Amino acid sequence: MPTSLSPKRTLPAIDPVTAQVLAGALNSIALEMGHKLARMSYSSIIRESEDFGAAILDADCQQLAECAYSTPLQLGPIPGYMRGVLKAMAEDGEEFYPGDVILHNHPYYGASHGPDIGIGIPIFQQDQLIGFSFTTAHHLDIGSCSPGSCGIVDAVDAYAEGLQFKAVKLYEKGEKNRQVWRMLRQNIRSADVVVGDIEAQVAACRVGERRFLELVEQYGLDTVLAASEELMNYSERMMRQAIAQLPDGTYAAEGFLDGFLDDPDPTKKDLKIAVTVTIDGSNMTIDLTGTAPQIDDRPINMPFVGTVDIAIFVTLRSVLLDTALMEYVPQNSGLIRPIAIVAPKGCLANPIYPAPVIARCCPGNVVADTLMKALAQVAPHNISGGIGNIKVVSYSGVVDEDYWVYMDITEGSYGGRYGKDGMDGVDTLYANTRNNPIEDIEAHLPLRVTRYELLEDKSGAGQWRGGLGSVRDIQFLSSGQMSLEGEGNKYAPWGIFGGKDGTPGGVVVFSESQAAIDLPSKFPCRKTRSGDTLRTVSPCGGGYGDPLLRDPQQVLEDVLDDYLSLEKAQEDYAVVIDPATLAIDFAATTALRQSRSGT
Amino acid sequence: MRLIGVDIGGTFTDLILTDTEQQQIWIHKVPTTVDDPAIAMLSGIQTLCQMANLSPDSIDHLLHGTTVATNALLTHEGAQVGMITTQGYRDIVHIGRHQRPQHYSIMQDIPWQTQPLVQRRHRLTVTERLGAKGEVLTELNEAEVLEAIATLKQQGIESIAVCFLNSYINDAHEARVAELIRQHYPEAFVTTSASIFPQFREFERFTTACINAFVGPKVKAYIDRLWQQLQPLGIQSELHIMRSNGGVATAAVAAREPVTLLLSGLAAGVLGGAATGQQSDRQNLITFDMGGTSTDIGIVTASGFVEATARDTWIAGYPVMVPMIDVHTIGAGGGSIAYVDAGGAFRVGPKSAGANPGPACYGKGGIQAAVSDANVVLNRLDPDHFLGGEMDIYPDRAFTAMQALADRLNLNLYEAAAGVITIVNNNMANAIRSRTVQKGHDPRQFALVALGGAGPLHAVEVARSLSIPEVIVPRYPGITSAMGLLTTDLKHDLIQNEFLLSTQPDLSKLNHDLRSLESQVQTQLTADGFNPEQVILERWADCRYLGQGYELRVQIPEGELDEAKLSHLWQQFHDRHTVEYGHAFPQNPVELVTLRITGKGAMPKLMQLPPPPVGTLEQAWIKTTETYFRVNGQLEQYATQFFERDRLPIGGAIEAPAVLFQKDSTTLLPPHTRAIVQPNGNILVQLMPLPIEAKRQAIEAIF
Repeated sequence: MPTSLSPKRTLPAIDPVTAQVLAGALNSIALEMGHKLARMSYSSIIRESEDFGAAILDADCQQLAECAYSTPLQLGPIPGYMRGVLKAMAEDGEEFYPGDVILHNHPYYGASHGPDIGIGIPIFQQDQLIGFSFTTAHHLDIGSCSPGSCGIVDAVDAYAEGLQFKAVKLYEKGEKNRQVWRMLRQNIRSADVVVGDIEAQVAACRVGERRFLELVEQYGLDTVLAASEELMNYSERMMRQAIAQLPDGTYAAEGFLDGFLDDPDPTKKDLKIAVTVTIDGSNMTIDLTGTAPQIDDRPINMPFVGTVDIAIFVTLRSVLLDTALMEYVPQNSGLIRPIAIVAPKGCLANPIYPAPVIARCCPGNVVADTLMKALAQVAPHNISGGIGNIKVVSYSGVVDEDYWVYMDITEGSYGGRYGKDGMDGVDTLYANTRNNPIEDIEAHLPLRVTRYELLEDKSGAGQWRGGLGSVRDIQFLSSGQMSLEGEGNKYAPWGIFGGKDGTPGGVVVFSESQAAIDLPSKFPCRKTRSGDTLRTVSPCGGGYGDPLLRDPQQVLEDVLDDYLSLEKAQEDYAVVIDPATLAIDFAATTALRQSRSGT
Repeated sequence: MRLIGVDIGGTFTDLILTDTEQQQIWIHKVPTTVDDPAIAMLSGIQTLCQMANLSPDSIDHLLHGTTVATNALLTHEGAQVGMITTQGYRDIVHIGRHQRPQHYSIMQDIPWQTQPLVQRRHRLTVTERLGAKGEVLTELNEAEVLEAIATLKQQGIESIAVCFLNSYINDAHEARVAELIRQHYPEAFVTTSASIFPQFREFERFTTACINAFVGPKVKAYIDRLWQQLQPLGIQSELHIMRSNGGVATAAVAAREPVTLLLSGLAAGVLGGAATGQQSDRQNLITFDMGGTSTDIGIVTASGFVEATARDTWIAGYPVMVPMIDVHTIGAGGGSIAYVDAGGAFRVGPKSAGANPGPACYGKGGIQAAVSDANVVLNRLDPDHFLGGEMDIYPDRAFTAMQALADRLNLNLYEAAAGVITIVNNNMANAIRSRTVQKGHDPRQFALVALGGAGPLHAVEVARSLSIPEVIVPRYPGITSAMGLLTTDLKHDLIQNEFLLSTQPDLSKLNHDLRSLESQVQTQLTADGFNPEQVILERWADCRYLGQGYELRVQIPEGELDEAKLSHLWQQFHDRHTVEYGHAFPQNPVELVTLRITGKGAMPKLMQLPPPPVGTLEQAWIKTTETYFRVNGQLEQYATQFFERDRLPIGGAIEAPAVLFQKDSTTLLPPHTRAIVQPNGNILVQLMPLPIEAKRQAIEAIF
């Protein structure tokens, strides 16, 4: 029977040169896995949007290296997936063998949510288990109650979200478990695409397995593990140094979810997210006590492991170890050692099975955003004003007795930053996917993108203004259906240090037969006819600092670029611009600014 | 035939003249005149002609590699650009793919947002829309176009990019707007997105067009001025310019499509490396060009150099979607700084001391240990022979800097220096691995061609770590790009998106489209002065499994395509997929996404180099002294012979360890290698098994 590594294994001392050599080697293994997964996969959500992750774990499920591209929300959860796999296998008395391939997506066993399917391969050196090669990816459909894998906002429990896999073996001892594959094909819409993507994940895991074994062969297992431990210690040291530089104390902030704005039940909307950060030397505790209770029958609860923890880790890392400001600190399990997370059972951030969670993406971004707001008190030069949240839309239709399914992620925007305006039209915080080219969508699907550009006159005013979101219109060219999950239709991104709040987003449906309909930030499966158009409007980021301190020249530049109207320039920034010459009237501006700051 | 190649780099302008009848070459290197690169080029050409005792008017071809386009983009000093685009899509080039370049950063800048190639105020929209099949959904509103042109003219815009959605499949609207611009604002430099590279994916194509518009006026002015200045010299030959695709273009084409020049010099470097390897009868080559701040890596196989995937290519932070040689550049060079970071990790590069202050051993004020300092400490660089003795180096400064680093690392001086070399070599080996092992190429079947000032100093140890069995060091490692210019053909790439499915192939359309592309390429090459019989056409298909997003390229069989040839094409794709990813899905339908025709007009080329002067090993020998090498993990001193490269005899077999000095480079032969000077002047280094490997192989042979 295969044996596992003893966790108490004594590792040799590692010299700094070998540690650096192995850091590069591990990194390039994870990169190769991700590269091959993206290129082999079929659905645009993986290959174009890069909503996938790839990593190598040690036998204790510690992440040794991750694929530097793809998206943080897929990468971060991987150790949790594998721990969930081990837990589920232990409960069922299952064991690993060389040649096994595991399928896992259970959100109460470490998975981020059901559509993010994890594929893992236990790596054996002879008969000793030495680590895991793991990939995650968002799949177009997992057999939910309605087509697609987003906007399933009416799922009443975990079962309604689709198929649940708890450490199911796709291959055992190298043998393909054909009946499982048949079941997948029989229960998933657009099965060719989804099963093709699962096969691509398996192939990518095999690449990782082979490369890791080659590395172990070349350097010896103990050296590889010792170098990995040193890399994790290094990342931990860097995180501790960053935390230790912040003043000890407790810092709190609150944020709100729209929830279900059209639901008559008041407990399903205006949901509080409470974040309290406690800094004690080089340790940090993030306490979500005070967050609204879970919703038993709507899927915006957030798995504590896989969503909430990742929102927190990614935000902390982006604020405290910002890769634009300092050199790259390896992304591994060492980074999270100084951080403890607390969330009471039964709240939105730590739900109890079988509460549904499939639409947890945008709420998780509010957790991240609220954490950033708390950190603003101690790291004012490293945060942005409130971010505009994203939206995820599923479009589908029936063709040849099967479905076509397409997932579109529309971006948000960042708030203003110290010395810089917010980033325009990007994915925010723990999400960092890519849009799908309009020309690719139109060449392959019965859809047309009829408008895609920045919003004007909507960003939060500030010394450094918030970023601009976008407006995106997508029209059906045949009948079908759509569903949507998003956040930020009601609560505008927050301004900070005197900056103004940004603007909330919106969702509108246009059709030939009736007037435009405003929709809330979530709607379940909705039938459409050819010609119907869905408009998504992103929230625009909050401002940073007093708008009256913004350089008038910058205000003029924004006017010249149509980011800002003359009226708003005067109203928000007290900058007077001559409409005929488009020159700043400095005398009038000074006078106006003086009178404003006086009041 | 008399050919001159001129490669202008950031620091040096390299020139080479060959007379194919006399079988002679002359080389010359002058500092680049940064403000006006033509100055150094012209004076260099004059000197070179004097050296060869030739009159400039007897030169048949002048070939040029330039960084003018690259520098304009890198320094963001280009034209005032305007854009005319489809109503409703004003910000495609600003939103991009909506992905942040860095995952873990709040304070990052997004290049296309903070440094737009076209400011939003100059992005004007007009009513028009094409469908995905190229059908006109909304007619082009010419009145709006005229208004936009007038506005841009009035705004003082010098260069206009015309970018319409779905123009990759029907360029009629873009072409019409270009025509209107030429009529109403003939001074403007015009670029249409489909004319540069009609490939789908609007952000990448529009951005490529905007880069063309941004660097266009500057490049055109440079080429025009160069041409004018060449006239008084009496140069009557045509001027050809190296492009990123590994071919040259006429000056007229280069000035029209300057975005295709961004890797001009780098592409020439790969070609020069390829020519070097081929002189030594090696087909599978890794070109390894290590300079002061960076290392450029290219892959060449029997079927030519490897091309980059157009959609994965980024320059200065912007996507560039045109055919390019796959040159992988990493921040590792002789000037790369070694240091201990805040978390205690030992790092080398990508920070570089550059040329100024340079490594500590330059004595120009650099105090941090750099890679060159490590080579000095290990006694691999010699003060008397650095850059042919023309530049002073100060070993004591290198020792001081390295000792400080060693103290921080708690290592001894030599361990620290050897560590610097190991780390930088490993960074470069990882870069090579990403282009070989990870792409299905086995490095054991390749030879490494060592180029640049520092390449030959590191190449053998890098080869050792990748199990590459041979290293080739050309006679002049420092002027490879200039030599590469003299080994190229004139080349045009044309593409068309096809979207043909293996399950329902329309053979007559496919054959028609192929013929149409071929005749377009022929027309272009005729305009460039080639007869049809001088032209070589290559036909390629970019394919993927239906639904995938990334294509792989396979060759289209010759002649009219029938079902048999097509099924051969699909099989080639399955095989290619297996090589690239280790996996194929033969039961799945294949989509032929893009047709591509490459037309080549043969240019005269550099012949074999004349044989090097005759001498003896004894005459070339300088000294024998102790040098540090790490073998099988042990860092030890070895008695090492030092030679003068230029005096080594043909056929001379050099016993390692040894160091070979020449003016523009230094070659290091660590223990357990053997080297021979080939008749063409190349040094061929063979890596012998290390003692432990040999022992293991012997044991394995017994069992």
